[in-house]
Amino acid sequence: MPAPQLYAALVDALPDPILVVTGLERDDLTGRRYILANAAARELLRITAEEGMLLSAVRDPEVLGAVDRALFDEADTEGFYETTGAQTRSLRVRARSLGRGLDGTRLALLTFHDETEVRRVERTRVDFLANASHELRTPLASLSGFIETLRGHAKDDPAARDKFLGIMQAQADRMARLIADLTSLSRIELDEHVAPKGVVDLVLLVGEVVEAAAPLGAQRRIKLDWRPCAAGSVSVRGERDQIVQVVQNLIDNAIKYSPDGAAVRVELQSGLTDLAAAASPEGVPRLSLVAPDPSAETYASLRIVDLGPGIARQNLPRLSERFYRVDGQKSGARSGTGLGLAIVKHIMNRHRGGLVVASAEGEGSTFTAYFPMASAPDVPPGGVVKAS
Amino acid sequence: MNEHIVKSYEDELNSLAAECVRMGGLCEAQVADAVSGVVKRNQELASSVVVRDDKLDEAERDIERKTIRLIALRQPVADDLRRAVAAMKVANNLERCGDLAKNIAKRTLVIIESDPLTPLTRSIERMGKLVLGRLSSVLDAYSRSDLERALAVWSQDDEVDEHYNSLFRELLTYMMGDPRTITACAHMLFVAKNLERIGDHATNIAEIVHYQITGAEMVGGRPKTDGLA
Repeated sequence: MPAPQLYAALVDALPDPILVVTGLERDDLTGRRYILANAAARELLRITAEEGMLLSAVRDPEVLGAVDRALFDEADTEGFYETTGAQTRSLRVRARSLGRGLDGTRLALLTFHDETEVRRVERTRVDFLANASHELRTPLASLSGFIETLRGHAKDDPAARDKFLGIMQAQADRMARLIADLTSLSRIELDEHVAPKGVVDLVLLVGEVVEAAAPLGAQRRIKLDWRPCAAGSVSVRGERDQIVQVVQNLIDNAIKYSPDGAAVRVELQSGLTDLAAAASPEGVPRLSLVAPDPSAETYASLRIVDLGPGIARQNLPRLSERFYRVDGQKSGARSGTGLGLAIVKHIMNRHRGGLVVASAEGEGSTFTAYFPMASAPDVPPGGVVKAS
Repeated sequence: MNEHIVKSYEDELNSLAAECVRMGGLCEAQVADAVSGVVKRNQELASSVVVRDDKLDEAERDIERKTIRLIALRQPVADDLRRAVAAMKVANNLERCGDLAKNIAKRTLVIIESDPLTPLTRSIERMGKLVLGRLSSVLDAYSRSDLERALAVWSQDDEVDEHYNSLFRELLTYMMGDPRTITACAHMLFVAKNLERIGDHATNIAEIVHYQITGAEMVGGRPKTDGLA
């Protein structure tokens, strides 16, 4: 038979918040007290004492109602509790009657079960659908508006017709880009938990992407300054097409937000073992959008530095959110789909790599992607590649 | 039935405060449901907020009656008098918050008849969350007699005003862009205004808590940005 202290320690260590409540009479509010609150409950309800008046810990009417029913009607009741504040937590509450204590007071057990994550996922899905359709509707509305005009007033006006057709082309391109991004995002998500096979030489790959992006930069006199590391080749584990997409999206973004005539620096380093040491310049706020897997030993890092307007600190955490664009970028000449970084994030996640952004307003932005380097046998440990 | 019928003076004061806190919980739920109703376009939720407002009115009357009775029979002085008066004033402010939540719910019933304004409801949701956080924080301060927390709520009033001002501008652009949205937007404007006033009531409660604990009134003006948008 375990000692009572063990039971006490056990209850205190339980991950779900638990309260034991006593009550005297239905109309006696101050008589309803909690006589036991485990560590999780004290943290959730922000109370310090292990006992006290119930109302000083919870005042949610649904929870209080559930407690009343358990105490006085001896009925088991479920309810729902949401905390307020910066980080809202949603919890399912269950109240169970414990009968009467030794001194005749009524007892009830109140347990909380955290469902925040489940609700958040549900919410993200709903938001995503709403956002995706909203993003598609805008170019579509403009297309049909111009078609209407072309059939009406602008029928016999060649100058206006050319102008409108140009805008319509741009809108159609925008929709095509959006749909391409959406499809690739959903494909990447499907494979997110399948480890990538194959080995890619980053020096070669980045070189090709930089070359392909050069004309885009040249339109606005932006020079791409490509600095491969001293080693002739850098092999990383990964799927070629997806890594191309990562490099392309990051470079495209850097070009998009650079002022005309500025330079974008693309640097490659290999053989990094201590990622903390490879941090960005001092004093600039930095944030990991994807935290690298600590089990891999060596990384190659690709750093893309632009001299654009930079990103305010409060916007950093939202960067990889779908359809998120920092204020004022929505109406830019080269407005993106808002999915680029979300795609990068998911690919880096799948490759067990890392993605770090360092930026401050007016000081440009630096995006650093960390790829795990291929180990000597060029085969993922434990995974046997079948040549079927 | 051999329990004491007449509770002690201290018990009576404590249960007065407890009733205020319970009323606060009700009020929080009303505001939360009202905001959630307008954001999620939930007719059922909005109607239930309208119906449940009676409970708050009743709670306020009850607290007022008990306070007057306590003052008349016990003639409290100093701390005790302040606690009694504070209970009545807090209940009063909470009842006003409840009315504003009910008004939001009533407008929701009109708003959901027109097309959804998704980006706007997002802003309303953010503002609602902020206001609710303040209300809940100040009620924590009241129920735990926590002066510091009350002061924190009192000094952060301008954040809500900022939200209100930006929502105001957002609504104007919508109405100018498409006159068909004017009905819904005008109601949204009142929803935002109501939320802003609930925030003001939270500030009032913070002042009451300060008075109850220290016996002194708050000095200095509240930090304010420009009053009109």
